Formats: sequence, C-alpha cells, structure tokens
Amino acid sequence: MASEKIRKVVEMSGISIDLRVGKGRGRKSWSLSRLGTRFWSWFWFILGALYFLLPLYATLNFSLRMERDVIGFKAYIRAFEDPEFLKTFLYSNVLALLTIVASIILIVPTAYWIRLRLPEARRIVEFITLLPFVVPAIILVFGLIRIYSSPIKIPFTDATLFQPLTTFEVGTDILIVAGYMVLGLPYMYRSVDTGMRTVDVRTLTEAAQSLGASWFTIIVRVILPNIRAALLSGALLTFAIVVGEVTLASFLGVPAFGPYLFLLGQHRAYEPAALSFASFLLTWVAMGLIQLFTGGQGQAAGAH
Amino acid sequence: MSYLSISHVTKQFGDAVVVDNFNLDIEKGEFVSFLGPSGCGKTTTLRMVAGFEIPTSGKILLDGADITDKAPNQRNVGMIFQSYALFPNMTVAQNIGFGLRVRKESEAMIKQRVDEMVSLINLEKHANKYPYQLSGGQQQRVSLARALANRPQVLLLDEPLSALDAKIRVSLRAEIRAIQKSLGITAIFVTHDQEEALSISDRIVVMNVGEMEQVGTPFEIYNFPKTRFVANFVGSLNTADAEVVDPAKGLVSMDGVQFEAAEGTDARKKGDKVKIAVRPERFSFASEQKKANVVDCTIENITFLGAVVRIQVKIGNTKFNMDTFNNPFLELPKIGAKEQVTCSKEAVLVLDE
Ligand SMILES: Nc1ncnc2c1ncn2[C@@H]1O[C@H](COP(=O)(O)OP(=O)(O)O)[C@@H](O)[C@H]1O
Ligand SMILES: [Mg+2]
Repeated sequence: MASEKIRKVVEMSGISIDLRVGKGRGRKSWSLSRLGTRFWSWFWFILGALYFLLPLYATLNFSLRMERDVIGFKAYIRAFEDPEFLKTFLYSNVLALLTIVASIILIVPTAYWIRLRLPEARRIVEFITLLPFVVPAIILVFGLIRIYSSPIKIPFTDATLFQPLTTFEVGTDILIVAGYMVLGLPYMYRSVDTGMRTVDVRTLTEAAQSLGASWFTIIVRVILPNIRAALLSGALLTFAIVVGEVTLASFLGVPAFGPYLFLLGQHRAYEPAALSFASFLLTWVAMGLIQLFTGGQGQAAGAH
Repeated sequence: MSYLSISHVTKQFGDAVVVDNFNLDIEKGEFVSFLGPSGCGKTTTLRMVAGFEIPTSGKILLDGADITDKAPNQRNVGMIFQSYALFPNMTVAQNIGFGLRVRKESEAMIKQRVDEMVSLINLEKHANKYPYQLSGGQQQRVSLARALANRPQVLLLDEPLSALDAKIRVSLRAEIRAIQKSLGITAIFVTHDQEEALSISDRIVVMNVGEMEQVGTPFEIYNFPKTRFVANFVGSLNTADAEVVDPAKGLVSMDGVQFEAAEGTDARKKGDKVKIAVRPERFSFASEQKKANVVDCTIENITFLGAVVRIQVKIGNTKFNMDTFNNPFLELPKIGAKEQVTCSKEAVLVLDE
C-alpha cells in the first residue's frame, strides 16, 4: 500500500517509475526465478532507501547532540527561539502560497487549452517548462534585476507606468513570486498535464458541454476536482522549492527563509541541522496529509 | 418538414474533405444509424450535429431552428461517448443530475428526475457509487441516463458499445433501442458494425470516405444494396467477374457458367464487364424441380459457425460460400463431391466492375 501511494505521488509529478515491489506479485506460484526477482527488487529498493535515509539519520543524530554527552532538543529550541526564524519562515510561506496560487491560475487554463485545442503546441510548451532545469537561477535573477531595475514605460512613449520594481517592497515581492513561478514551472506544469491526461479532459469537457455547462462550470465543477491530486502534488513540490530557495532571495535581497538558513549555517553548527530535519518532517507530514485528502479521489481518477 | 434536417453539409479539415455534401432528414422519434468503415466521417458528422465541429458549408436545422453555428451548450442535444465520459469525481446520481444542476433546477425536481432515470436503467442499488466501482456496461447505462435526464431533442451515440464485451454489447443495444422507443426520442447512432446497425435502426446511412452511399431501412440496405460498396460492407457477399451475355434476358456469364439476374443488366450492352454478387444464404442445393439458376459445383470445404453451416463450393473456377441453417438432421455432402446449387434470379446482383 505504501509503495502504491509513493508510485501515485511520483506519477502525479509527471515522472513515471514503477515501484510496485512485492505487492500482488508474490501471490502467484513461487518459482525460483520469481524468488530471485523478488530478492533483487528488494535489494535495490533498500539500497535506494538507504541512500536517502542515511544522511537524514546523520542529520538527526547530529542535531540532537548540541550538549556534550546528552541527547536532547537544545538545538531545536535555540533555532525556534530566534525571532528571525519565525519571521523569515512565515515570509517564505507566504511567498510559497502566492507562487502556488499564481501558478495554478496561469498553468491550469494553459495546460487545459493545450490539451483541448492546441495539442501541436504541447512539445513547445513542454520545452519551455523544462528551461529552469537548463538555465541556472543565477542567470534568471540577473536577468530580472537588469530589466526591472529601470522604470517600466508604456510602450512607444516616454511615460512611466511603474517605478523600477526592485526599488520598493511590493515590487520586489512581485518579482520574486514571478521568478519562483518560473522555477516551479516544470513541476507544476507536468503534474497538471499528467493529471489531465489520466482523466481525459477533452471528452469530459465535451460531455459537460453537451449537458449545457459553461466554461466556468466545466473548469470549476469538472476539471479542477478531477485533477485535485495532481494540483496538490504540484503545489507541494513548488512549496518545497520556494521555502528552501537561496539564489533568487539573496540577490533580490528579501528576508526569506533560504538565505536565513544559509547564514545560520555559516555561523552555527547544530541549529541548521535541526532546522533541516524539522523541514524534512514538515514536508513528509504535508505529503501524508495530501494522501489522506486525495486517497479516494486519486483512485477515482486513476480507475478511468 | 422533418425534425432534424442536415442539408448540404460539408466539412473540411485543411484541404481534406472529411464529409462531402451530406443530406439527411430525420423524423421525430426515428432511430438512424451512420454505418461505415473507420475514418469515413461518421463521428465528424455527429459532432457537427452536437456542435463540437462547425460545418465548412451547409445547414443543420433542429425542429425548425437553425443550429448550425450554435455552441454545444446552447443546443439541447444529448451525447454518448465510446469511453462513457462519466465525471470520475461524481457518483452515479450526481452524474445524472449534472445537467439539471447546470440548468439550476430545484433540488426536489432534480432528485425526482434522477430517481426516475436511475430506475429506467435499473441501477437503483448503485446510485451512490462512483463510476470506477461500476462495470463498463453499467457505466454506459449511466451515461445514457445522464444524457436523457435533460430531455434532449436528439440523442447522439458515437460507437457507444465498442468498448464492451460481445454479450453485453448485444443486450445493451437492445436496452438502448427499447428505451429510445419508449421515450420516443430521436436518435443518431454511429457504428462500424453492420450487425449492430441492422439490428437496432429504423434507417441506416451507409457512408464511405465522406460520402453517403445509401440511405434506407435495414431491409432495403441488406437486400437491395445500391452500390458495390454497400453490398460488400453490409453482410457477407460472394463476388466474381462476369460478362453480360443478353441484357434483355438478364443473362451474364462467369467463365462460361451462366447466371440469370432479375435486374441490373437493362442499362448495359452485350459484352460489358461486370461483377456479379450473391449472398451466401441465397444459395441452396438444387432439388428436383427446376429453378432459374442451377449450376454444377464441387464441395471444397465445410465449416460450422454455430447457427449456420458455411459450405465452400467451387463453381467453374470461382469459390463461393453458401450458408445453410444448422440442424441435427442436416445431411451434408462429402468434401470433393459433385453437387448442384441454385439461387433465385433476384439473388444475383449485377454491379459495376
Ligand atoms: N480535428 C480534426 N482535424 C483533422 N482531421 C480530422 C479531425 N477529426 C477527424 N479528422 C479526420 O477526418 C476523417 C474522418 O474522421 P471521423 O469522422 O472520426 O471518422 P469515423 O468516425 O467514421 O471513424 C479521418 O480521416 C480523420 O483523420
Ligand atoms: Mg468515429
């Protein structure tokens, strides 16, 4: 069951890996080769798990040893007590939420329209969404600064529409959210697109249209509920990226969690480990919650 | 004035003419099938009636109103898809009530209508299940109920049975037909399966690469195919090259074996090359009393097909199939035996080469 859930999350993020180890396979006759296959699949699974779990364990272990010869939560208490922690953490969370909402508003209709009317544009859009993997964040941020540190003019005139975005706080927030939307694009677009593929949005749309539904009704009542699991997994990945991001945040000079953690790492030893582990835990809890909320729904969509 | 009128409708995708000058008048309560091979434009024609495609030229009138350019959600047309297209996030009852909810009917009215529909398709026990908990046949019945709940003016079905097992396919098509008749609803049914079209329809439109080949009742289509394409596509058919010998008497010759045809030769001349075609079930062994076409043959092969036995016979140099009904007392000839078979004048179709 657990591996089934992992598979679903992975699938929703647009990457397909088959993790169906053991489940349902062992029920048939136990031939020797089958036993061998089983052994090797477990072997690789455990090896992979260790690769992720060992560093995590090391971090946890380290974070608990702030006081000499005592296992305790001192590092955690210290880290959480710092007012800067709460401030930057909340700020990054707000950025993450804004990014997620803006991404959904941009990406859901785009992916939907491409599936519906412009299938030939899929490859181009997919290529664009992959650009953040190719173009480093540092280039993105310098591009943003270069363009938006001068006033925004109304095209073909000299009239100024906006002050340079980098010179005031809301402007910088807009810039950084836009930048984060770009960084989250591969994950969000792919999740949404995969979600739409699994429910065949095209036929569902036509069915709804023939029943008299308007575009708004179709998107709200038919499309969104059926890609809920995909939206959540895209949102989760975006959240994880934004909360830990350093490059954009430091160069745009915003008080975000990423740069804070980075600074802390340069001056302290135990607190960053504690915070890293805590944020891991947070992510896993979030993932668990998503599974809880979307379990039945995801199955309904998957069974189509 | 007919209820649904499709007149001079042509549809092009780029340069490709997919539907060419389609003309059809459908009466209220009629069940019409579009029959043809894959890619002949059946779905495209249906989608133009539904509003998902707009004709390149031509008009579609429904109950006197021009709906040619109307958006799909502005027409009152029900659509059934091969893939059922039920909303996975809604229960059976919610699916059926969707259209009524979109129209902002009262909850009491919706509930009453949904109950009515659920019992129409005999799924009372499953009203609160999700689509993935139902079998394919049940899902398609829900989709039928969902389309009918809105009381559409026309019901459009695009190969609704193609994804189902053979058994369910046959029982569900009977159910669809029974429901359609009891409600008196006008329906267009798209299929590539000739048996399906023959069994379910009031009228059949046989289509081939974007053109209408023939429109008629199943009886007419099967027994009096107007073109070679229709004759070949509907039912099975033996065909052979032949030559007109005597146009007035209807005599044609196939490698020296003469057949007499009831019609089809009047407009031809002696020596014209033609095809003759005879359906397998029109042949029988010749009894004592002399009939029109009695020809010598050799038994080549015998195959049991359940209700019928297919006997392959060689007439001259051509192999023909002949079907007889199976029964336990049937006396079958031996393979290699020399026999005589016969068919009526009306059974011999003379077609263009
Ligand atoms: N949206 C489209 N764009 C381009 N060609 C299409 C489109 N829809 C259908 N066609 C083409 O039109 C022809 C008829 O298609 P269709 O109506 O689906 O046939 P059928 O339902 O009889 O199998 C096919 O050759 C198909 O490739
Ligand atoms: Mg089709």
